[in-house]
Amino acid sequence: MDDFHILLPTLVIFAPTFGAIILALMPRDNVEGLRYTALTITVVTFVLTLMLLGGFDFDDPKMQHEVVAAWIPNWNINYQLGIDGISLPLVLLTSFICLLAMLASWSVTKQVKGYLILFLLLETGMLGVFMATDFFLFYVFWEVMLLPMYFLIGIWGGPRKEYAAIKFFLYTLFGSVLMLIALLMIYYNGGQHFDLVGLAEQAQDPEGGLLVDLTMQKWAFWLLFIGFAIKIPSVPFHTWLPDAHVEAPTPISMILAGVLLKMGGYGILRIAFPLCPEAVGHASTILVAIGVISIIYGAFAAMAQTDFKRLVAYSSVSHMGYVVLGMGVVGVVGAAHGEGFIGSDYWAMGINGAMFQMLGHGVSSAGMFFMVGVVYDRVHHRNINEFGGLASRMPLYTGLAAGIFFAGLGLPGLCGFVGEVFVVLSAWQFSKLMAIIAASGVILTAGYILWTLQRVYLGAEYKGPHEEALTPIRPRELIVAGVLLAFAILLGIFPNTMFSIMDDSIQHLANGMAGKIGS
Amino acid sequence: MTHIDSKAWLLIIAWLLPLCGFVIEVFAGYWSHRCPGGRYKSRTAAYLAVGCIGGGFLLSLSALISGISDWGLLEHQTSHSQAAPLESDNPDAHATAHFTVANVPHGEDADTGETGHGGGQKYVSGEIYTLGTFGKLRIAIDYYVDSLTLIMFTMVTLIATCIHVFAIGYMDDERTEDHTDHQVHLADGSHLHRPGRFYLFFSYMSLFCFSMLGLVLAGNIFMVFVFWELVGICSYLLIGFYVERRSASTAANKAFIVNRVGDFGFIIGLMILWTSFGTFGFKSYTDGNDGAHPEPGLFEMVRDDHGKVDVEKTDHGSIVRIQDHDDKSASIPYWLLVAAGLGIFAGCVGKSAQFPLQTWLPDAMEGPTPVSALVHSATMVAAGVYLAARFFPVFLPEVLLTIAYVGAITLFVAATIAIVATDIKRVLAYSTISQLGYMMLAIGLGGWGAGLFHLITHAFFKSLMFLCSGSVIVGCHHEQEMPRMGGLRKKMPITACTMLIGVIAICGLAVPGVSLWGYKIAFSGYHSKDAIVATAMTYAHLNPAHSLLFLAPLVTAGITAFYMFRLWFYTFAGEPRDQELYDHCHESPRVMTVPLMILAFFAIFCAVGGEGGPLYTAISHSETIPEHIADSAITLPSHKQIAGYHQQAGILALLVAAVGTLLAWLMYGVGRPDPGIIRRQFAGTHEFLVEKWRFDELYDAMFIRPVHVVAAWFSSFDRRVLDGVLHWFAHTGVVLARWNRWFDESLVDGIVNWIAVRVQAIGQSLSVVQTGRLRQYVMFIALGVVTLFLLMFALFPQT
Repeated sequence: MDDFHILLPTLVIFAPTFGAIILALMPRDNVEGLRYTALTITVVTFVLTLMLLGGFDFDDPKMQHEVVAAWIPNWNINYQLGIDGISLPLVLLTSFICLLAMLASWSVTKQVKGYLILFLLLETGMLGVFMATDFFLFYVFWEVMLLPMYFLIGIWGGPRKEYAAIKFFLYTLFGSVLMLIALLMIYYNGGQHFDLVGLAEQAQDPEGGLLVDLTMQKWAFWLLFIGFAIKIPSVPFHTWLPDAHVEAPTPISMILAGVLLKMGGYGILRIAFPLCPEAVGHASTILVAIGVISIIYGAFAAMAQTDFKRLVAYSSVSHMGYVVLGMGVVGVVGAAHGEGFIGSDYWAMGINGAMFQMLGHGVSSAGMFFMVGVVYDRVHHRNINEFGGLASRMPLYTGLAAGIFFAGLGLPGLCGFVGEVFVVLSAWQFSKLMAIIAASGVILTAGYILWTLQRVYLGAEYKGPHEEALTPIRPRELIVAGVLLAFAILLGIFPNTMFSIMDDSIQHLANGMAGKIGS
Repeated sequence: MTHIDSKAWLLIIAWLLPLCGFVIEVFAGYWSHRCPGGRYKSRTAAYLAVGCIGGGFLLSLSALISGISDWGLLEHQTSHSQAAPLESDNPDAHATAHFTVANVPHGEDADTGETGHGGGQKYVSGEIYTLGTFGKLRIAIDYYVDSLTLIMFTMVTLIATCIHVFAIGYMDDERTEDHTDHQVHLADGSHLHRPGRFYLFFSYMSLFCFSMLGLVLAGNIFMVFVFWELVGICSYLLIGFYVERRSASTAANKAFIVNRVGDFGFIIGLMILWTSFGTFGFKSYTDGNDGAHPEPGLFEMVRDDHGKVDVEKTDHGSIVRIQDHDDKSASIPYWLLVAAGLGIFAGCVGKSAQFPLQTWLPDAMEGPTPVSALVHSATMVAAGVYLAARFFPVFLPEVLLTIAYVGAITLFVAATIAIVATDIKRVLAYSTISQLGYMMLAIGLGGWGAGLFHLITHAFFKSLMFLCSGSVIVGCHHEQEMPRMGGLRKKMPITACTMLIGVIAICGLAVPGVSLWGYKIAFSGYHSKDAIVATAMTYAHLNPAHSLLFLAPLVTAGITAFYMFRLWFYTFAGEPRDQELYDHCHESPRVMTVPLMILAFFAIFCAVGGEGGPLYTAISHSETIPEHIADSAITLPSHKQIAGYHQQAGILALLVAAVGTLLAWLMYGVGRPDPGIIRRQFAGTHEFLVEKWRFDELYDAMFIRPVHVVAAWFSSFDRRVLDGVLHWFAHTGVVLARWNRWFDESLVDGIVNWIAVRVQAIGQSLSVVQTGRLRQYVMFIALGVVTLFLLMFALFPQT
């Protein structure tokens, strides 16, 4: 591999940081200049991630584009990056959503320079999380991402921004602390290094093991899981999400829903699962239950909301429940069918579905938040019962919004469907009851989304204040919404574009763990 | 790309054409300019939609013709059978030839895939593209083409083309920039003015056609589900086309959500099949399997080459052996396969508006009438029946019995409501539900061909009647209440005439005992309903415990005749009841009446020859009749047995229908007995029927309100309990911090300060010794050293 390809992951991660430095040197009153510079940076980052995709070997389940350099040699901490089929789609999603969120950031008018700098630092943190293969480095990026987010909500947020920002920060920090404990447990039990690939191999080694003591392993797993579940967020660790979303400015909501939540799911797949395989076998029932409860609970809670953004936030809780469910449907060998049917195929399908759900939700929820933001920018309220009749005033906007909300509803041909249905299909082999309850979510989801559409977009008259401000969608908004909808359709019709990237790595993971769980 | 059969190619293109149309039409608001010099927008979008679906019809027709010649679809399947004695006493000479099929061993009949008649395969299937592969598991977009697919394609595209053309006329007032919706009252009391949405209507229609054709083309049950949902959303969009009307958007929501309830069952069915069989495919691919052993489909796995289900009793209950599987010992518990069948059927119940999910269809009449004709009578709602028929091989006897009873209940309940409905479209809606019930019943009784036969004939005459009602509605300036109409036959002769054809067809009237060139003098509905009633009668004789399944359709045949003729007499016969309405009424333009005439032609002739005719014969080539499972209590009737009861059933059904017609004529044509008096005498019953058996109230109390209550609970649980706990922690944290501060400031700082103060004081007091005199310091040092030594010796004396 040539030098450029070795540099590429580093470039991807630090391109936004570099951009932030440039922005810091620019004058603060040239607002448009700042915005276009930041936009250029996100475009460059996106192109760089596409180059990662270009150099990616779809048939290799292992880490690619690996970079290893000693960082703190005394502690065996490395600057170690790499991508595989699990991280690459999320890296792409991150740079993609950041690009669109940056386009949506024109609505931010307060202290633009600081906002843009923090935005780019946040992007660095997120990309770093998805590409780090050293546990300590992962942890560092995880924390790096936290601070900009805190300020972005706390300074540019709505009326209760301080409350929301602190709630977000403390919740996540609590999770980080748990992760830190687990990190130390793993470090001292696993040859005192942080290399995630090596640790995973050690943990899945049929002869040896990483955390040989099962109690210890269970502790490590639950600490990690809670840390990540807060981020996903799973019921009952989800209450930071509605507040953070409601207060955050639109583009930050897009990133929060589109990317940040996925870090939880990714963390489970990258760290909690491979490092504690036996514990996963024991925990699976609880994981599945948490997933199912999140699906149903989130859907019910969404139905009761009157704040448009809160409703979308709860729909995120519901949709991310499928992610936990899909990961948890551990299947080793299908007992009912003897040797002919290998349950781990269903499990791999569940994980694939969970991953796809993360991508699909990344697109659809970012779109939903953006669509809410578009009307909020105009009429400055979000009370669902005080909308109505937007279809005739903003027809194009309504068409796009309907498409994106249908994606959230899980309509076939759009991105939300594939993940949901594949997860649910794979769940039956694990638990019939859980699968049935999860499937009943489709009724509730249809209920709250259609009811919302009716109250906001349909009807004869607009019922709220600032009626005159309901102007048709602007070109910049059109680009963001149009691109999101286009991708929602693309992913919905050709899901195999993503499955073909992910499947080998997931199969590798599932098989590696199945050996350990089954024994 | 692998080789794809030419018929499949034609259908795939016919399927994708409307999608292209949709993509272009949906943006027509930007490109369809005004007509030169007029205030109307151009009709380009409509022409495009008609072109797409019309092109689809031509392609489907050529595929059908190619299928007929390739597979010999018009030949009776008995052509090579020598064992079949002709039943000379049967009046229907054409039917006779077919009934003998019952004597052919079922294996040959069912296994058309590999050893079909005429030596060729009777279906083609293959993959279009893959959705995902997970180890051995694979989900794909497939096609599956047999005679049923071909006929459905042709029927759907033909009817859709007629309805699209009709809609050009019906939706004409949507072409203005300033359309007035008289049903929407704004806050200031005025009517709503809005730009017309002519193009949008046609783009939705195109999207619907694409989805519907995809559903029919589907080669696996997962793909059926995908398009199942898509037709659902198209139905949502079309029902709610008048988005400003609250009733319309509510009806659209109701339709979609009630369908989702059915789909919930569908998903459970999918989960069971997927986990037990590891595939969704109907049958193995014929295209592109490289001659290797093809992956078996569900039908081949459930039933063996002779169409038999291999049931085995074990200690843990009955199991069904999975055929054609790599693992010879693979099996599925019997109850689970029943559950899978019931689950899939639950989807059909939702889509086809069967009891207990029938409530959405009457409300769906809020959509424009062409939508009701296409989506809610001819095609989408029939998709449930289509799927039940397509999935027939997977259904076990218990499932079939459920299907039969659901159908029987539905057809009766809906027909009773239709008697009292006064909205012309609602009568037709209930009639649709009832007729769908007939089809379901037929399928549940094992009358596979009869059910599908009725599906096709019903599609023609019901879409015809809906379009006629649309013509009436346009003619009467959007009046839909029949009590205000009357005598319209003079103003709208074509509509009245074609409507009468439809009414006669659905009632199944015929001229008994007379035949013309060997054909009975009867419209399409007679043949198909006859087939169903005959099946039911045979079934009731074979299974006396289930006689109700014969009585319900028989009685309902009379009710059907009654309410349909009631509708016709109410609307077209007699004297005008509302003179003003009558005076402004007019016959519809040619663009609307020509489709009526075309559909009327098919409503008369599409089933010509009855069960010996080309339509039934072609359908029956796709039939897979299961042998009844030995230890099931149900005996499914065979074709031969049905043939024995055919004449008897036909006479009975005709008699009942004639009575219904006569009653309707007396009450609504002659006016004696006066329907008003009867209504007053049975006020309670009447109200119960007008209230639609109170299903809506029941569901509202049982499901909708509880859901909202639970939602409110969960939401407040979040705010009160979860956030409460969190706030308590936060609060405790703050209290602790305050404590800590107090502790710090008062105690720790106090001690530190005290020590500091003491030290300072000591320093102060010692400052007197700091004199600056060296001698004194030396003395202090010396004293200090001596003291140290003394202390050392005192404390550590030994060393």
